[in-house]
Amino acid sequence: MSVSFSKPGLFEPRRIGEMSPATKILLYSVLIGWSLFVIFPIYWLVITSFKTPATVNEGPFFIPFVDFQPSLHAWADLFIYDAADTFRAYFNSIVIAFSATALSVFVGSMAAYSLSRIEFAPNLITILYFVVLLVGAGVAIGVYGSDLWLTLAICVALFFLLARAVGRLYTVRLGNGDILFWIVSQRILAPIVVVVPIYMMFQSVRMLDTHIAIIITYAVVNLPIVVWLMFDFFNSIPRDLEESAQLDGATMIMTFREIVLPLSRTGLAATTLLVMIFSWNEYLFALFISTSKAQTLPILVAAMNAGERGILWWTMSVAIIIMIIPVVALAVVLQKYISKGLLVGAVKG
Amino acid sequence: MSSAKSISIREMNKFYGAFHALKDFSLEIDAGEFLVLLGPSGCGKSTALRMIAGLESISDGTLMIGDQDVTEVLPKYRDIAMVFQSYALYPHKTVGENIGFPLKVAKTPPAEMEAQIKAAAEQVELDHLLDRLPGQLSGGQRQRVALARAIVRRPSVFLMDEPLSNLDAKLRGNMRAELKHMQSTLGITTIYVTHDQIEAMTLAHRVAIMKDGVLQQLGTPKEVYSDPNNLFVAGFMGSPPMNFVDGDIKDGTFSGEGVAVPAPGLADASGVAMGFRPEDCQVVEAGKGKLDATVFTFEMTGDQTLVTFRFGNNPVVVKMPNDFEVAAKTQTGIDFDTATACFFAQSSGERLR
Ligand SMILES: Nc1ncnc2c1ncn2[C@@H]1O[C@H](COP(=O)(O)OP(=O)(O)O)[C@@H](O)[C@H]1O
Ligand SMILES: [Mg+2]
Repeated sequence: MSVSFSKPGLFEPRRIGEMSPATKILLYSVLIGWSLFVIFPIYWLVITSFKTPATVNEGPFFIPFVDFQPSLHAWADLFIYDAADTFRAYFNSIVIAFSATALSVFVGSMAAYSLSRIEFAPNLITILYFVVLLVGAGVAIGVYGSDLWLTLAICVALFFLLARAVGRLYTVRLGNGDILFWIVSQRILAPIVVVVPIYMMFQSVRMLDTHIAIIITYAVVNLPIVVWLMFDFFNSIPRDLEESAQLDGATMIMTFREIVLPLSRTGLAATTLLVMIFSWNEYLFALFISTSKAQTLPILVAAMNAGERGILWWTMSVAIIIMIIPVVALAVVLQKYISKGLLVGAVKG
Repeated sequence: MSSAKSISIREMNKFYGAFHALKDFSLEIDAGEFLVLLGPSGCGKSTALRMIAGLESISDGTLMIGDQDVTEVLPKYRDIAMVFQSYALYPHKTVGENIGFPLKVAKTPPAEMEAQIKAAAEQVELDHLLDRLPGQLSGGQRQRVALARAIVRRPSVFLMDEPLSNLDAKLRGNMRAELKHMQSTLGITTIYVTHDQIEAMTLAHRVAIMKDGVLQQLGTPKEVYSDPNNLFVAGFMGSPPMNFVDGDIKDGTFSGEGVAVPAPGLADASGVAMGFRPEDCQVVEAGKGKLDATVFTFEMTGDQTLVTFRFGNNPVVVKMPNDFEVAAKTQTGIDFDTATACFFAQSSGERLR
């Protein structure tokens, strides 16, 4: 019996390991369609930034120089007439994003490192009456106007007394897993739920509309992500390495600098970029906490939606463009880390 | 540089919560000795080693290195080098940097450091690979880097936790010989942990056998092999292990079903296990040996032949020369020199002497 090799059909691959022509056509049509869908808004944004109010209102026009004459009108508006506002918002965004990121990565990675290396065993009962005492103190001071320092002193004394008396009786211990879950669970609540309390807190200490207030808020909000990501990274570094360094005489600081830090560098970089992007784009907290001096870029953009002159599509486009440029740059860098597979399992053999 | 030091472990205990991992562990190790801690997985060998290194706290007891009490001393002041089972090489440092790390920590001048790295690397034949990263090395080479890093500093004590267990059989044999040679040249007190009794037999000056956190027997490889203290040691040492036959002792004679062997000088006892080594017995014609049994299997290992019998519920293995042949299910006799037999109490596992 002879086997005849006919030419492969449309639905058969030409070679082993390749796609069939039909699959290829389908795949590329979907991909191209999707790219157009995704890229069009950005294109639309860019051309709108070069339109005059008149061209926007008479539109829609799609092709510059053919449909409409591009103009630098909106760019001039933002960078010459409103330069002070624009640059202040830009500066605010940079200061806030950098400081908040630095703060949360620094604190968060230290927390993550200790969680991955030290066995904590807090007593559940101790935590419970700590919270009870805290609430009690708050009520006593806030509602009944007790003396602040006296109340605190009583609470501290009560805490230690209870710790000695009750702590011995009930020892339900929490582990590192519980602590980690508790930290990560802080992100489960929608930010809108806590935004009013946060507003009131900063109001009562007269810190509304300051950089510090927004930086602290962002750092705290991003902390769970940092702890979670970095915990995984530090856990992937074998303990043997640190123990070996210790036996060779290295101090704790030297071990951290020589072994742990270099091995978690990729993780730190990825986490930093992620948190940076989150802080850069954040809108809700900034809206509540800042009113004018500490306004960030997202607030500036949103404000153009609500002016007495109607929606300023053209200047809004300019603002959005200058806002997304750094994020796109960061995303390119981040993508490099992810595609190299460095984001997970940093240390192997 | 320091000279070898003796180690003295006195009643050392380790508790993990309520779990008693190491029980009244006492051991005196001479300066320059090669001591092997041997035992099955999970018996507490690593725990003991890590306590000596200072990586685990000592719950109770005393540890002396030289004439210094180091029970509460930080690892870095104990002058110990350790080779981990995983090798614990720093993946981001080159071979040279890995070997030189202890020197860097000790702030050795660069020129001297380079010379010492080179010397250590030459000793393990790695001097041509100094610029590679650990990830670019084979398992055997990584093992050598770990060794070089341990010897570069000339510590007073070496600790090794199953350093050869990640290598293939042939490499393991080579490294065993090299390790033994290196240890005797350097003369550094060494504690070596393994679950492999052949490694223990070949490397050790003395072997300490452990089970469930308790030291079972301490002695030279020859002593623990031919004169085991209890049933566990007898069954753990040797490959294939010792054969056991159940019975009782009465009037200086051990007797079980189909077997009667003189047990001179032993008190009467019931529930006794008699042990004898496979290499101490021969297959003979049925009725002419100490006991008769049926051949179960027959294995060639190249240099010898292992014949396994069923005797009662116990397997009995006999080592025969490699030209020996016998068919399965044949009934034959097994003969052995009764002077080599050991007797153990079944209940406590203790040797009857
Ligand atoms: N950190 C720990 N916490 C609780 N139990 C442990 C810990 N480390 C070891 N153990 C237990 O101690 C026993 C001895 O472990 P180990 O010394 O590692 O055994 P091995 O002889 O195989 O090296 C094991 O049962 C193990 O489960
Ligand atoms: Mg072990």
